[in-house]
Amino acid sequence: MAVSKCTRLNGSLIKQMLDSVDSVLFDCDGVIWRGDQAIPGAPDVINLLKKNGKKVFFVTNNSTKTRKMYADKLALMGFNATEDEVFGTAYCSAMYLKHVSRLQGKVYLIGSNAMRQELEKVGIQQTGVGPDLISGVQIDWANVPLDPEVKAVVVGFDEHFSYMKLNRALQYLNNPDCLLVGTNTDTRLPLEGGKAVPGTGCILKAVETAAQRQAQTVGKPNHFMYDCVASQFGLDRTRCLMVGDRLDTDILLGSNCGLKTLLTLTGVSTVADAEAHQESGCPKRLGMVPDYYVESIAELLPALQG
Amino acid sequence: MAGARAFGFKECRKIGGSQIRNLLNAKDFFLFDCDGVIWHGEKAITGAPKVVSSLIKHGKNVFFVTNNCTRPRENYLNKFLRLGFTDVMQEQIFSSSYCSALYLRDVAKVQGKVFVIGGEGVRNELLQAGIPFVGDEDAPDGTIFNCALASDVKAVLVGHDDKFTFLKLAKASCYLRDPECLFLATDVDPWHPLQDGRILPGSGCLTAALEVATGRKAMVIGKPSPFMFECISSQFRVDPAQCLMVGDRLETDMLFGANCGLDTMLTLTGISQMKTAQEYRDSDHSTNQSFVPDYVVDTIADFLPAFEN
Repeated sequence: MAVSKCTRLNGSLIKQMLDSVDSVLFDCDGVIWRGDQAIPGAPDVINLLKKNGKKVFFVTNNSTKTRKMYADKLALMGFNATEDEVFGTAYCSAMYLKHVSRLQGKVYLIGSNAMRQELEKVGIQQTGVGPDLISGVQIDWANVPLDPEVKAVVVGFDEHFSYMKLNRALQYLNNPDCLLVGTNTDTRLPLEGGKAVPGTGCILKAVETAAQRQAQTVGKPNHFMYDCVASQFGLDRTRCLMVGDRLDTDILLGSNCGLKTLLTLTGVSTVADAEAHQESGCPKRLGMVPDYYVESIAELLPALQG
Repeated sequence: MAGARAFGFKECRKIGGSQIRNLLNAKDFFLFDCDGVIWHGEKAITGAPKVVSSLIKHGKNVFFVTNNCTRPRENYLNKFLRLGFTDVMQEQIFSSSYCSALYLRDVAKVQGKVFVIGGEGVRNELLQAGIPFVGDEDAPDGTIFNCALASDVKAVLVGHDDKFTFLKLAKASCYLRDPECLFLATDVDPWHPLQDGRILPGSGCLTAALEVATGRKAMVIGKPSPFMFECISSQFRVDPAQCLMVGDRLETDMLFGANCGLDTMLTLTGISQMKTAQEYRDSDHSTNQSFVPDYVVDTIADFLPAFEN
């Protein structure tokens, strides 16, 4: 297998590369949209790829929306996409718990309503979602009533995260058989409107610190999200392209799964970041070097329109 | 293993009787952790009050060095008195909340406000030190989509906060975007035990969350950072060679002692076990040596026979 070369994708190389793939997986934030603004040209790129017979999927670590919510957002922005093409961590965590953990029991959830909905869709009940503020004294907190059916603590983005939730999670995790699953470790979460807030990685780290153990994470760069897509759509990894803006999640996922990788510069990572990984010679870092990069996915348009 | 004693090698030796008497004679300064060493929750460890007053009667200097930042010092003093430690004075108590205020006032000399993630213990100490602070309560209607930030915040201090919310985390990480804004943590303990053996999340969890959010490392005031020893030294003339640090947690108390160049004693009435201390001692990683105590006792009450002359 050729070593990733971090090649600027332009001219005839674009068409050549596109001809070599049947499926394209897109990250969302920083790739096809920023907050609630589509990256200029992005809807056309996606729609033309499909017109050209390519399969298109959306793979995001953001756990705050269900597949349906994402599909609605995509439609609103002019992307021709359906619910089953979207793979967010709310959905993928539910799939993970159902099919990999084979969870028999409930979940203590630190996460969004979207996560609750995706869990319920696969028949997994949860407890804990929503605001949870402290009351009583220390001895009460250590003795919070625990639901005996809870077999896993699941952590995603939660704007209601509080000390009390952290405490409940710790009490459940005192049982070594209780699973700890996190949606992703991203440090920042982009909001609609362009702001960013601390990401799920912060919340997960608080829980891991209290419980003194590491979570199983579902999101990129873990290969599970690719496996989810591949198992439902029968993909050939040698003819798949992963397009993302983050070297440590999107590109690394692509490398881990043997996909071709394309970095777009409309988001977090820079070419300098990629070259630094390349020059490091460190095997762990080489997985973060993309095969190709573009300034924006809009650069694919001429090859698609021609 | 003969002849393999490296510099800093700690023996982890359980001592009793005359060995304790010799140790008590050799040292002038006794630094005690509190939780799990002199008391469990609201109950003094049997014999502990007598140990403390005997040390003081014999002219020894006694200090209490605790990462617990939930109370102001006057409050701690009340607890000492309530539990029977009648000879203790406020000046002997060094908590991470008190030392955080000292750091901000005397070392960092902060000009501006401190954004506090913490409770009464921390806030009260800042007030007493004359350091202006803001908490999250000043803008109760704020949300993560729209929150007001105070001007003139020059430091963020994270301590134990049972009222911790995501919004506080978001605000703190905004303030810390300015590299000139200081990032302080009272301590990094991941959890604390309660009287009945159950545990609660510690300040370490909140600090870790904020470190991930900001990509910055907090300056830690409490054990195992040596700063609290520097606080004691700045107020009293202390010779490290004359000190004994007595604690129950290898990764905080023993490491603190090692970091300050003090002899250390593990008491087995708290968190850490003899077995763990021995595993650290026998491990191949040299960094683990710093967790190993010089001496071990079952309880500090084992000091009592030494006072019977």
